[in-house]
Amino acid sequence: MHEYAFFLGCIAPNRYPGCEAAAIKTSRKLGIELLPLKGASCCPAPGAFGAVDLNVWYAMAARNIVLAEQMNKDITLICNGCYKSIYEVNERLKENDDLRDGVNEVLAEIDMEFKGSIDVYHLAELYYDPKICGVDKIRDSVTRPLTGTKIAVHYGCHLLKPIKERRFTDSENPMWIEELVDALGAESVQYRNKMQCCGAGGGVRGFDLAHSLDITNEKLINVTEVGADAITEVCPFCQLQYDRGQIEIKEKFGIEWALPVLHYNELLGLAQGMTPQELALDLHGIDCKPFLDKIR
Amino acid sequence: MAKGYNDPAMETRFQDRYYHSADNPEFTKEVERISRTIAHMCFQCGTCTGSCPSAPRSSYRIRKFVRRAVMGLEREALTDPDLWLCTTCYSCTDRCPRGIAPTDIIMAMRNLAFKWDIIPRNFLKTVQLIYTTGHGVPNNDVNRAARVKLGLEAEPETTHKYPEYIPGIQKIIDHYKMKENADRILAEGEH
Ligand code: SF4
Ligand code: SF4
Repeated sequence: MHEYAFFLGCIAPNRYPGCEAAAIKTSRKLGIELLPLKGASCCPAPGAFGAVDLNVWYAMAARNIVLAEQMNKDITLICNGCYKSIYEVNERLKENDDLRDGVNEVLAEIDMEFKGSIDVYHLAELYYDPKICGVDKIRDSVTRPLTGTKIAVHYGCHLLKPIKERRFTDSENPMWIEELVDALGAESVQYRNKMQCCGAGGGVRGFDLAHSLDITNEKLINVTEVGADAITEVCPFCQLQYDRGQIEIKEKFGIEWALPVLHYNELLGLAQGMTPQELALDLHGIDCKPFLDKIR
Repeated sequence: MAKGYNDPAMETRFQDRYYHSADNPEFTKEVERISRTIAHMCFQCGTCTGSCPSAPRSSYRIRKFVRRAVMGLEREALTDPDLWLCTTCYSCTDRCPRGIAPTDIIMAMRNLAFKWDIIPRNFLKTVQLIYTTGHGVPNNDVNRAARVKLGLEAEPETTHKYPEYIPGIQKIIDHYKMKENADRILAEGEH
C-alpha cells in the first residue's frame, strides 16, 4: 500500500463530496491509501487569494505542507488549484532560500518550520505512474466498463502550466489522461482548443461572471461539436465552472446545454461499480443520467 | 459605456492626486521583485495576447500590461479594471519566446494594486472567509447532509473539523495585515 496525506482543498469536500468519497474508495482498490491531513485549510486559492498578497499565499500553503511533513507523508490531491498552490509553493520554497527564510520567519510565530522533506502529487499523476499504479492496474480494477460513451478531457490549467515548473513535459497536446479514460472502457475524444482554460480561474469567476462564462461557453461548443457525452476533468473548480456554469449560462445568455460533467474519480468510481448515489451525483447541477444511460 | 469599476468609493479614490503620480521606474523593479520574472526582456511580440482566452472577449491585453511594467506606467497599470480579467491560465507564460511569465507580472500588479486599495470586492470577501473558516468555499448544510449519506463525516478533516487550527492561520494573515486592510477597504465601499 502506498500511503499519502490527502489534501482536500475546499470545493471537493464542501461542494462535490462525491469526489472526495470516490478518491478514497477508488484509490484503495489500486493500492493507494489516502490518509486524513488534519487541520488543513484552503490551499489557499492561487488566483483569488494570491492576487491579494502572495506573501500570505506562500505562508499559508507552507503551513499545509508542514502538516504533511509532520506526518512524514507525501501529499496527494484531486484539484488543480490546490496543485498549483501546494506543489508550486513546495518546489519554490525548496529551491529559493530567500523565500523559505521569509516564510519560516512567519511560521515560527506558530511554532512551525518548513523543512522541504516531502513531495506533492496530483492523484491523477499517481494513477498514470506505473511505479505507483499505472494504466494497466486501472484497467484491471474496472468491473463495469463505460463502454459506449464518448468523453472529452479537460486537463485544466494549473496541472500542467507553467510547464517549466512542472514534472510534465507537454502542456500543448497531452494525451495521458485520455489513456486513463480509455482504460475505463470509454472512448476519449479530441476537440478544438482542448487546452483552453475553463474560465473560472484568477478570481475572474467572482469579478466578472459573464466574461468567465463566455470562455466556458466556447469550450462547451467545442466539446459538443465532436459528440462528447460528458466532460471529465481532474479539478473540482473546473467541474463547478462547467456544471453550475451551464445553469448560469442559461440564465445569463439564454443558451441551453445539458452536458454531464464528471471528475475523473467519479468516472473511475462508476467503472469500479460504485452507484450514482455513492458518488452523490445528485449534487451536480447538470443531470448525469443521459451519460449513465449511454453506458452499454 | 466607459470602462469603470462601478464602485463609488473606488471612483472617489481615483480623483485623489495620489492616483495620478508620475511614471515610476521603481514600479518596474517592484513588479520584477514580486513576480520573480524578467519583465524587461519583453520585445512586444504579442504571443502572450495571441494565447490569451480573455483577449478575444474584452479590451484586456496582456502585452500592454507587460509594456506598462517595463515603462514604469504604474498608475495606468494599477487603475485599469482589465487587470482583473486574467484567469491565470498560464498559456502566455508557456508560449512567451523570451521566457517571461506574464501571468506572474499580472499577479504582482494585483498585489501592488491592493496596496493602493484598488481591488474588486470578491477578492476581499475570499480573504474574510478564509480568515474566519480556513476555507475560501466553506461547508453548508445541504453538503453536510450529503456527506453523511456518503459515509463521510459532516465536516471534512480540515479546519472545519479541527477549528483549533484557525488561530494559527489568523496569525499568518495578521502578520501581513491582510484581513485588517480587506475589512477597511470593504467598509469604505459600504457607505
Ligand atoms: S510573449 Fe513575451 S516577449 Fe512577447 S509580448 Fe508577451 S511578454 Fe513580451
Ligand atoms: S495567464 Fe492571463 S494573461 Fe496569460 S493567457 Fe491566461 S488569461 Fe491571458
